[in-house]
Amino acid sequence: MIYREAGQFKISYGADNAFLPVLQDKFLLLIILTLFWIVFPVFASDFAFQAILLPFLIYSLAAIGLNILTGYAGQLSLGTGGFMGVGAYACYKIITLFPEINIVIAILISGIFSSVVGVLFGLPSLKIKGFYLAISTLAAQFFLVWFFEKVAWLYNYNTSGAIEVPTLYISGITVTGPSAESLVKYYVVLSVISLLTILVINIVRGKMGRQWQAIRDNDIAAEIIGIRLMFSKITAFAVSSYVVGIAGALLVFFWKGAAEANLFEIRLSFEILFMVIIGGLGSILGAYLGALFIVVLPVLINVVPHFLGLSIASATVEHVNLIIIGSLIIAILVIEPHGLSRLWLITREKLRLWPFPY
Amino acid sequence: MKYLTKNILFMSFIFMFTNTVLADLNVLNLSYRTGPFAATGIPLMDGMLDYATLLNERDGGLGGEHFNMIECETGYSTAKGIECYSKLKSDNILTVHPWSTGINLQLIPKAGVDRIPILSISYGLSAAAVGETFPWVFPFPLTYWDGASIMLKYIGGYDLSGLKGKKIVLLHLDHPYGKEPIPLFKELSGKYGYKFISIPVGLKEMQNQSAQWLQIRREKPDYVLMWGWGAMNAGAINEAVKTRFNMERFIGIWWSGHDDDLMVAGKKSKGYKALSWNIPGNYPVIDDIKKHVINKGLSKVKNNDSIYRNFYTRGVLMTMLQAEAIRTAQKHFNTSKVNADQVRWGLENLNITQARLDELGMKGMTNPIKTSCSDHSGHHSALVLQWDGEKFSPITDFISPMKNIVRPMLEKAADKYAKSNAPWPGRDNIPCN
Repeated sequence: MIYREAGQFKISYGADNAFLPVLQDKFLLLIILTLFWIVFPVFASDFAFQAILLPFLIYSLAAIGLNILTGYAGQLSLGTGGFMGVGAYACYKIITLFPEINIVIAILISGIFSSVVGVLFGLPSLKIKGFYLAISTLAAQFFLVWFFEKVAWLYNYNTSGAIEVPTLYISGITVTGPSAESLVKYYVVLSVISLLTILVINIVRGKMGRQWQAIRDNDIAAEIIGIRLMFSKITAFAVSSYVVGIAGALLVFFWKGAAEANLFEIRLSFEILFMVIIGGLGSILGAYLGALFIVVLPVLINVVPHFLGLSIASATVEHVNLIIIGSLIIAILVIEPHGLSRLWLITREKLRLWPFPY
Repeated sequence: MKYLTKNILFMSFIFMFTNTVLADLNVLNLSYRTGPFAATGIPLMDGMLDYATLLNERDGGLGGEHFNMIECETGYSTAKGIECYSKLKSDNILTVHPWSTGINLQLIPKAGVDRIPILSISYGLSAAAVGETFPWVFPFPLTYWDGASIMLKYIGGYDLSGLKGKKIVLLHLDHPYGKEPIPLFKELSGKYGYKFISIPVGLKEMQNQSAQWLQIRREKPDYVLMWGWGAMNAGAINEAVKTRFNMERFIGIWWSGHDDDLMVAGKKSKGYKALSWNIPGNYPVIDDIKKHVINKGLSKVKNNDSIYRNFYTRGVLMTMLQAEAIRTAQKHFNTSKVNADQVRWGLENLNITQARLDELGMKGMTNPIKTSCSDHSGHHSALVLQWDGEKFSPITDFISPMKNIVRPMLEKAADKYAKSNAPWPGRDNIPCN
């Protein structure tokens, strides 16, 4: 019905291999981009930016990073929180050591540090896989958080033990710090994330992405047909940690404003992992849907009593929120173990064949 | 299409909540009644809420206006705290109680921009006592550095000569809150000749501190000072009892003096000491709360015995300080509908005399409290409470902090904060009167 592809034909291989060959998909993407670039910034309140849009974008970037490693390359990793921390602390040190540097450049550079650390802790993947690799990345997680606490140089010997984001400018406009406008922060974050998403989509649709998927599906067969396992696994860790590190830097600089070491503890790693699993392993859309579910839904549930005019105690709302989210997670995983992105794909297939059954 | 309508609904959900401009006097309390710190949070939040309810029920509000203490659940999580603050700050909030050092650190830079004073009563960033640098943050009646100096005075005598050669361990929560007093202890260790050892307890190890207490047993310190909160207090006390540590040498800061934590170990924890700036017990104001609030079913208190205990009475005092600041502002600006800027003035010119405390039914509960433009803490005194197996009772008089040592250190720390957060607005043309 909606997805009637009658009349859409391609006359070149290039067009045929496009990212979104169907016109309706392109239209949908255009609508989503318009929403995020034009509609939301115009209508959103400060609360919507601070509690919904900024965390959604930042967490979805982290979920994309983890999805590369766990979804596409099949290397289970529980060290995401630690790698985000590396990105955040690296960015803080770069900014404090070189105050004149552009913050966006600093963020892109801090991803490199996180990438190096990620590769280091990913080396065990050459010998072990599955749950055993999860344990070694867990070690990375705990070590990194301990490291952030102990090495006082990282937080410039602050008495509070926390890193505080200074006020920074890009061509005269305040972009970070308490006096920065939420709108400015939103656009900077959105630009960085759009850029990285485009980059990641191209990587996973290319040779490297296919090598990772081959390793995920059957690494012995992959080695037999000539894929260099070591190289692929290391690049998976490198790219994934780069993206995750940038997400960590954005988390601290453009959303939180200050961070202590225990912000990057195991809880954050699990949160990102849940986003990836619920959203769907091996899918970029899945990262976004998972972040929407885990980050945005609880906030919306908290707002419902206020919206409906009911006065329920805040603690009760919090408890009920946890119950609702928990049961929804169970329900979704029972209905569709492959996550929300698979639910969307099935819906799409049904729409393509409507009114015929799928 | 479906996706589009879904998106529009989703959008409208976010953006269409009415910002009700409440005409009452609203104060935001970023409370926690859930999570690992709920055990210590609940009695304080109860005390705060009940005194606010008392003012409304018995006195008809503050200056005739309904006094609304809005609680927003954070579970001690910094992210939730910021969410609560962003959601509610436009509801005509007069002050905010962050209740967590993590949330406090995030809100301090925002206070000057949003123009909402932060009331971090006897907690938070110690350097915020310097009013010239932090005009919007109020840590009275005394800061953690004052408390640390009081502990040293208690141990070493008023001239601190008794400290020479002693070994002092600071068992603290591995969190900005716990790390707060370390600079003071370190600096004074060289000056007064004691050895200072800092032992952190991670947030995950609060209930299993066997490693830390093993280290304490090996070190054999003369005194163990504790900066604990939530489950860490009970964990530390139980572990101390288990390793047969001499409880007489175990002194906690005022947040480590929770009766419930000690009742678990009961008689065995007899001798444990804690600092406090309030004296628990029965007072006319508690009787009033019982009459007007608890007996009318307007309180969340489950255990009626807790209202005479340390934390509940402290919560009552905290709301009293808040209310007095609002009253001071109402009197000075000659209006009962004060705004956040005026309440900031009230907080900066607080003068609660002994006569006023007696009037409020709080005679003997705490000392008179005074703030000024440059001194947001007042460096007031605290005393030492001791657990006798059943309750806390004072064993000393009020001890004053070493103001001449603490104040210069606070000013240095405030300077450092302003430099690392440049450009720091400072007082930003707010007059000092």
